[in-house]
Parts: sequence; structure tokens; C-alpha cells
Amino acid sequence: METRIKEVMSNVFDIDISMINFQSSPDNIENWDSLKHMNLIIALEEEFDIEFNDDEIIDSMNYALILNILEDKN
Amino acid sequence: MKYSEIIRLNHELEGKLEGAEYKVAILSNIMVHQSKDICEYLLRIESINTKVVIGEYDNIVQDSEKNQDSDAVVIFWEACNFIDGLQYKIDLFSDKEFNGIVNKIKLEIDIVLSALKNTSIVIINKFSSLIFDQFSLSDNNLRRLIDILNKHLKDSVRVNTRLVDVDGIISRLSIKSATDLRYYHSSKTLYSVEFYKEYFENIKYFFFAANGKTKKALIFDCDNTLWKGILAEDGFDGIEIFQEIQYLALCLIKKGVIIGLCSKNNPEDVDNVLENHPDMVLRNDNIVIKKINWDNKVLNLKSIAEDLNIGLESLVFIDDSDFEVGLIKQKLPDVKVFQVPSKKHEYRLMMKIVSNLFYNTSITEEDAQKNKMYKEQVERSKVKNKAVNIESYLVSLGISITVYLDNISQSSRISQLTQKTNQFNLTTKRYTESDINSLILDVEKIVISIEVEDKYGQSGLTGLAILCKKSLMIDTLLLSCRVLGRNIEYKFLDIVIDIANKNSIKTLKAKYIKTKKNQQVNDFYNQCGFNITDRSDNISQYSLDINKYKYKHIKYIKAINGN
Repeated sequence: METRIKEVMSNVFDIDISMINFQSSPDNIENWDSLKHMNLIIALEEEFDIEFNDDEIIDSMNYALILNILEDKN
Repeated sequence: MKYSEIIRLNHELEGKLEGAEYKVAILSNIMVHQSKDICEYLLRIESINTKVVIGEYDNIVQDSEKNQDSDAVVIFWEACNFIDGLQYKIDLFSDKEFNGIVNKIKLEIDIVLSALKNTSIVIINKFSSLIFDQFSLSDNNLRRLIDILNKHLKDSVRVNTRLVDVDGIISRLSIKSATDLRYYHSSKTLYSVEFYKEYFENIKYFFFAANGKTKKALIFDCDNTLWKGILAEDGFDGIEIFQEIQYLALCLIKKGVIIGLCSKNNPEDVDNVLENHPDMVLRNDNIVIKKINWDNKVLNLKSIAEDLNIGLESLVFIDDSDFEVGLIKQKLPDVKVFQVPSKKHEYRLMMKIVSNLFYNTSITEEDAQKNKMYKEQVERSKVKNKAVNIESYLVSLGISITVYLDNISQSSRISQLTQKTNQFNLTTKRYTESDINSLILDVEKIVISIEVEDKYGQSGLTGLAILCKKSLMIDTLLLSCRVLGRNIEYKFLDIVIDIANKNSIKTLKAKYIKTKKNQQVNDFYNQCGFNITDRSDNISQYSLDINKYKYKHIKYIKAINGN
């Protein structure tokens, strides 16, 4: 699951997959703005066939939290 | 394909395509950011070097002014965000409030359409209430508003504008998968990624036409393609004609599409069906070219392209056999191939997709005649094969050219010609009908168009030159491939130079801009006595002292003044 999340993030933010780690967040990924965040959520929902609720959309503002949320959902 | 994969592949294509950038501006009063990668990707894989710019949120009116120089503008104008929450407020509106909204939006439509009047293509979605109104079965204020505004939209569109029935696209997907109302309330994002995929898949044909990517000929296999059954085995009485498919082919003929056959069969058996089968819809007259033999289909399709004098990328081929479809896909990747689906009702749907590939910005009377014209072209090639001396063959054709200057009644056909002509086209500039109208009305520009006729028939409007008096430049010089190989190009240049001379142009400049398809004319100006003044990889510049030009005076081509 980690690789799949990273792949989606690397596609959406147009950065190399090796750049993504547990610290990755809008603070250190320049491309991660509010518009790209929405693209990321949509892409993750499609990839894992799940739906984020409103709180989760707001919470998932770094890689570690995204992983948490997705693990909970599976 | 998944959204994140589209984003990745789109990034990979960025900056890798040749050709001028094709700028598409998407304007909206809701958030439509997911459309960018999807639109770019679907056009980039067709080699259109697309760049999408998304307008400011809810700023359609101002953005229309700012983006009028784009190659295309797409507008998502959502009724329910005319004002925030319109969908739940409107039923409480007084007449005065209702009319206020109507008048405001009508005025905005007028401003937007007028700001974009010179933009090549404007695509506007018709207003829709479907998403917010899905549970209401009877008329209400929202629907009334939408009907009034759609009528206004329809009455105000110009030649450059296409209205899209977005309800059709939503219905095909279902409202549930076309939208994501969650995001609508949080961030005014109304449509899902699924929606954008389907939407741009449907409207991409508008962009194809503007980029010279429209297909020209549809070639059918026969057995299990035009009819059910195998003629050589089931026999004349044993086959069942696919009438609906053939009717759809007839509709395409009316739009100017060439229909041909490429089938492994005995030619006399197929002719017998074409002439005598009572259920057939397509007849010999409708079929421009036939390659009915036992040779391989790669050779046959190649020779179809040659005989018609069009590129392989202009061909669409339909066959039922895995083998043939696979073979053509591998050996002739430029040909667009479709396989007949095993379920008959799916075949009809597939034909609708096939038809879209022939989308034309406008249908002219000449299109309807085109099948006939190409048939004459095939007749000419036959005579050409017999005639050894090409010159005497050309003399025997009795060719005449009718020349028109700034003829506004032809602007639709002239525009089509700039969009479709790839081979004999020195600068490959694509113009829409409204572009041509402005060129014709501009006194600094001379738009010269020609029609060609010979003893086999009329080729219609087949040549165009645009002269710019101010810059002394031949902006455009092109001839349809239908009339090539008859020295018409030399006669036409004589005519163009004569017109330049009469307009007191002493030194004439010209340009060759290289594309993938116009190799055959890379030396044309040089051959005709122009001096080269500058050459780079893709552009050669020429100049000509008109007094020194040697007219070719081709005697067997007659020139007639059409004005």
C-alpha cells in the first residue's frame, strides 16, 4: 500500500517517488497546494476505491496521516 | 485509465511534441481544475501540442476578454452558481428577482460571446439543471430559468461557437458518478474525474478538426462487416445485410466522407451483391474505391491511400477479423482500425464513435459531392496508368481554373480547406470561418481561391492563396491533394504572382514552414525561381523580384475569372 500511495503522490505532485517519506507535507513539497490537495484526494479515492469524509480530507495533510487513514479504511 | 496515471503520462508528454502550442482556455464559475490534465492528455496523445489554462474562479466575463487570443475557449457556466445557492433559493424568488437574474446572465452571455467573436473555437456547455433538480418531476423556476437562458444562448451563438449538451454526457455516466457534491459544498468542485474523461473524450473532435486531424475515408471489409455471413460460403441468398450500418455510412457520405471497400473476396461476387441484392443500402455509386482481391490488406490499404491521393492517417478501416485488425494495427499504425464487435447492438454504437472521427466544423454542399469527386479522381488515375505521356494526358483532361478574389460566400469552404490540407501546404496555417471572414474584409489582405474543373467533373474549391499587401508576403499557399499531379500548382502560382503584380507589389516574400506532411513542397518556391533569403531547420524564407519572374504559361490549363 505504501508504494501505491507514493506513486499516486509522485504523479500528482510531479516529483520523484524517492522524495516522498514520512515527513512529506505541504511544508516540504512545493507543489502541494490546496488545488493539488484536492487532486490528490480524488486520485487516492480512485486508486483505492474508497471515499474520504470531510474531516479526513482536511486531516490528510501529510504522508504519514494519509497512510494512517487508508490503513484504517482497509 | 486512472486519474493519477493520466497526470503522469501527461507530464511525460509535456514539451515533447512538435508544432505550435495549441492553447485551450477553460473558463468557469465553478472549480474545474481536474479538467486540465485530462484535456491536455487526450489531445497530446493525438500529437496536438496542447496547453490548457484554467481561468480564475467565477470570472467568466473578465476572463473571456483576457483569453480571446487562445486557440480555443471552453466554458463551464453552472446555473446553480449564478448566485450562491441558487438551486434552493430560486423557488422563493419574486418575479422581479427572477427577471433580474435572467437579464444579468443574458447580458453576460452577450459580453462573453462578443469578447470571443474572433477566437477560433468557443465551446459552451448548455445550461443544465439536471444535477440539482433530479428528484423533481414537474416544471419549476430553475428549469424555467434554464430554458430561457438556453434559448438566448442558442439565438446568440456565432459561427465559431459550439454548444454542448452536457446533460447527455451526465446521463451516460449517471448523475451519481458524474458529480461529487461533497466537493461542491466544500470547494465548488462539481464534476468528478469520470465526468471530465467522458466530456473531453466527446468534445475532442472539435479540436481535431481545427488541427487538421479529421479523417477522410472510411474503408469497410465486406463479410461480417457490411453483412452477416461469408459471401463465398453462405452465398448471395445466405447473407444478411447490416442495413443500419450501411445507412450510417450513407449519412457519412452526405458529410463528404469517402467510402471504400477492402475485402478478400471474388470481385464479381461482391459486385453482384452491390448491384442486385435487394436489401443492400450501399450501392456501386456510393463506393469510391474497391480493392476486392486476395492480396494482403496492407498492400490494398496503401494503394487505396495512393489512388485517393490522401495520407494513410486519413483512413479509417473496419474489419471483423482479429487477424486483419492486428495486422493493420502493426503494419500501418497510421490507419485508425476498428473491429466489428461480436454483439450487433454494440456495432451501431461503435459506428457513432467512428462517425465522430469525421467531424467537420461545418458541412458544405461540396462535401455531399465529395464522394463523386473522389470517384472521378480514381477514374483519372486509371487513365493515367494507361497514358504513357503525362503531358498529353494532361492536355486531354481539358482543365480549367476559376479564380475568385475575396469571395465571402466561400468562407466556410475556404476555412475547411485550411484545416484539412496537409501535403501541398506551404505554411499550414489553420483558419476558422471567422478568421477567413476577417481576412476577406481586411483591405490589406487578398484571399484568392480557385475551383478546378476538367472533363471528368468538378473538383470544387481546391486551392487557396492569401496575399498580405502590407508585408508583401504570401501568407498561405495550398492546394487540395485532389488536384495535385496536374501542374495546377504552377498555373496557380502564375495567377497569384499576376495578382500581386497588379497590386503594385514589386518584391514578393514567401515562406515554407516544415511539417511532418508537407515535405513534397519543401523546394517549391526555389523551383519556381524564388531566391532563398534565410533557412533554418523548419522555416525557409524566400523573396522574388516580380519583374524577373518567368511565367510558366501552361497552355492546356485555362484560367477563368470567377468574380
